[in-house]
Amino acid sequence: MKVRRLNKVLLYDEGTSQALNIEEIAEYLRKKLAKVQVEVRGDPFAFYPSQDKVLDYAKKFASIKIQDSTKRMLSGQEPLYGEIEYEKRRILGKTRAFGILYDGLELQRILWQLILREESSLEFVHIFFNNRLFATWNEYDRRYHARVSLYGIPSIISTTGVVEAPAKPREYYILKQQYEMLGKDILELKDAFQGRFIDYEDERLTEVVKGYAMQAVFYALIGDPFCEDEGCRLYNAHWQEELIFAQLVSEYEFCPRHTGLIEDENGH
Amino acid sequence: MGIEEIEVKEDKTVQELMDELKITSPILIEVNGEVFYPDENYGKILKRGDIVTLIPIVGGG
Repeated sequence: MKVRRLNKVLLYDEGTSQALNIEEIAEYLRKKLAKVQVEVRGDPFAFYPSQDKVLDYAKKFASIKIQDSTKRMLSGQEPLYGEIEYEKRRILGKTRAFGILYDGLELQRILWQLILREESSLEFVHIFFNNRLFATWNEYDRRYHARVSLYGIPSIISTTGVVEAPAKPREYYILKQQYEMLGKDILELKDAFQGRFIDYEDERLTEVVKGYAMQAVFYALIGDPFCEDEGCRLYNAHWQEELIFAQLVSEYEFCPRHTGLIEDENGH
Repeated sequence: MGIEEIEVKEDKTVQELMDELKITSPILIEVNGEVFYPDENYGKILKRGDIVTLIPIVGGG
């Protein structure tokens, strides 16, 4: 296993949940990676104040929406005027992404264009935090699957993905169906399951996302963001209860192997 | 598949390398410090001795 040298971790805020404190995540990463510079870049579109650029990116985002999760998105979809206008407002911070599913790989391609070419390498860990819900296509069951994160250049971590991608407890979905049939208030159900899944604007969101940021770091460091240990923050949780355990409940942050790699990186 | 480095044994295009390695999953590649999407650079020539880093894109959650 090759361990790469990291130069810098760069954090971008591409429109996130208000509950996400990126400065706190940066501080956490600085403590974990004492020898690596961590920089908060903020809004990646702040570099592109011109209306032409905003319109250009709005068109790109609007063209990667998934209309049907059982049909693979065709590249070069022609977006509607209203969809472009919505994305323009989204880029300018005048609205928030809601109810839209994006193709994750295409989203990554767009965000990749926002990275400075001289910083486009594995030495630089670019992490875009956003609240866009994205999914990746699975050839085996021929449908899209929502994701929390996508690791590559750049890595993307979605706060909406944290809420929507890992499955909630099975009994939640059974009861949800019953509540919907009976016309009952879903908020009551959420109260009944309080603490068993991460919700929108959840106060635990920043703590949870720290673990995903470390997955992005390990992806660049050793080429593998994940760990098999369910108590390690690098565990690839597919259930909310697994996520909560790995990120919040487990008695240790990282398994012995990954703790050792962090110590090596810090020169201990 | 994790991030891995391979040495190019003879001059070939990016398309030829992708075919040879049977790579169909989403990936970025790095050659001589330049990172790019293979499907946008299929005709690009890789020289014998170039070190190519294969950077698979991995989804989480």
